Amino acid sequence: MGNEASYPAEMCSHFDQDEIKRLGKRFKKLDLDKSGSLSVEEFLSMPELRYNPLLRRVIDIFDTDGSGEVDFKEFIVGASQFSVKGNEEQKLRFAFNIYDMDKDGYISNGELFQVLRMMVGSNLKDWQLQQLVDKTIIILDRDGDGKISFEEFSAVVRGLEIHKKLVLIV
Amino acid sequence: MFLLLPFDSLIVNLLGISLTVLFTLLLVFIIVPAIFGVSFGIRKLYMKTLLKIFAWATLRMQRGAKEKNHQLYKPYTNGIIAKDPTSLEEEIKEIRRSGSSKALDNTPDFELSDIFYFCRKGMETIMDDEVTKRFSAEELESWNLLSRTNYNFQYISLRLTVLWGLGVLIRYCFLLPLRIALAFTGISLLVVGTTMVGYVPHGRKKNLLLVNLSQSQHRVSSRVNMKVLTYYRKPRKNRPRNGGICVANHTSPIDVIILASDGYYAMVGQVHGGLMGVIQRAMVKACPHVWFERSEVKDRHLVAKRLTEHVKDKSKLPILIFPEGTCINNTSVMMFKKGSFEIGATVYPVAIKYDPQFGDAFWNSSKYGMVTYLLRMMTSWAIVCSVWYLPPMTRETNEDAVQFANRVKSAIARQGGLVDLLWDGGLKREKVKDTFKEEQQKLYSKMIVGNHEDRSRS
Repeated sequence: MGNEASYPAEMCSHFDQDEIKRLGKRFKKLDLDKSGSLSVEEFLSMPELRYNPLLRRVIDIFDTDGSGEVDFKEFIVGASQFSVKGNEEQKLRFAFNIYDMDKDGYISNGELFQVLRMMVGSNLKDWQLQQLVDKTIIILDRDGDGKISFEEFSAVVRGLEIHKKLVLIV
Repeated sequence: MFLLLPFDSLIVNLLGISLTVLFTLLLVFIIVPAIFGVSFGIRKLYMKTLLKIFAWATLRMQRGAKEKNHQLYKPYTNGIIAKDPTSLEEEIKEIRRSGSSKALDNTPDFELSDIFYFCRKGMETIMDDEVTKRFSAEELESWNLLSRTNYNFQYISLRLTVLWGLGVLIRYCFLLPLRIALAFTGISLLVVGTTMVGYVPHGRKKNLLLVNLSQSQHRVSSRVNMKVLTYYRKPRKNRPRNGGICVANHTSPIDVIILASDGYYAMVGQVHGGLMGVIQRAMVKACPHVWFERSEVKDRHLVAKRLTEHVKDKSKLPILIFPEGTCINNTSVMMFKKGSFEIGATVYPVAIKYDPQFGDAFWNSSKYGMVTYLLRMMTSWAIVCSVWYLPPMTRETNEDAVQFANRVKSAIARQGGLVDLLWDGGLKREKVKDTFKEEQQKLYSKMIVGNHEDRSRS
């Protein structure tokens, strides 16, 4: 992991050198086995993250190369999507990706069901959950293909000023 | 004797003389006044000088950083990000409100935007969580000339480096040997003294002797690390009494010495081997402390029984307990284990806050062993702390032990200026149970389906 003095410019993040340095320190601290990448176990070592039912989705989004672990570049790029300097499009994409589990650009009925199931745990029965999912898709699906595309998603969510909600000030 | 030694051992001679002089100085200026409780005020002067030097050093570093045109790392007091503490319900309601035109929006429903809350909270925690950072040393805003606390160590100026070098010299070559010698004296005093007191028959005289012995021994130990202690004990009645339990937040084994310098307690703890074991056995000879075998600790009823017996006996000293169960880094107070609060005795809370500028007293037991820790203590500038004795508390009739424990914890946190956390200090070593996630899920489910569906309400 070595040289902290400078990071390659192709990190393509919104952070300046100083912020990257701080995030680097945080990354090192989280990387308990010093493997250079963060496994799900290492994320789970933070007690407060256990509260969070969407943890696996977030890690999955960070892990762009599908290796199962988050290396430093993925960490920075992922965090950068939450930066104050990020644009709305990027943040909408992030939110969309939480639902779009197979990354095919559409939120299918099954995907929405699975994500909702993560959020409610075992507190709702399958049929209750399915009702909610069906209702949502019917309302939002404009072109009638039974799935929600990014445009349909943004149309609903855009007005909610996400750029204020999905923001971390480092 | 010196004259008999050959001439070319001049160095050895000088060494011999200086050591003798040092030892005499030791005895006269430190141990004797400590035994009688007198202070020359040297330590306060030392502290003032150090503070001035630290302030100069920090300014110099800032100036240096500006010249080189980059920011000096200034941590937020709470971590590397600015956090916005809102609850699940508040935030989700707010997100929904800002979007839809539904006015009185209490109809339970699901919105796509609900995930935002979880995402943000998750990211915040990944960047900086409240719990794991309590288990490592606090980061300082100004540099105190110890390379172990410098997170930005770069070459700034010659003067600064010289000052740092001087500091190292003083700390390792002067303070360290002095303190080791003091430590040995202190421990031997304790062992010898308690054995002697052990021969005195039970009674008032014995208790008096005990008091004097323990206090003077602990005072000597305090001088070991040049501790400057400020005891806030204005209301005399707040001092722990026989038959009570004294409860304090735990940062390091030194806490024990600090409290014992100013009062006398029966200790509670696990039986250790080695040096600690010797000290424990010596202490038991003089008065009844409550030491447990490791196997007994797991059996909570046994522990509770022994504590209750001790407390009922009014002639025995008040018990000193650290309910957190482990060392925390002194920026927060973590969950108090309810065992000591179930007994029903009066609880005397004590808040201990260290000033981290002179030396970090936190014992990170997963990183450093006892010996390394002691060495680090002895090579820091000083240990400075404030001790507050809070008014005694008793459990009220409509409170259970957990609520009582939390009440005491909040009082201690408030007084010491520490963050009051509900997390268990045991998380240092263990993992969190999944029940937390389940609670969060339950909360969210209620929001989208409504309360009448929730049959599992207790």
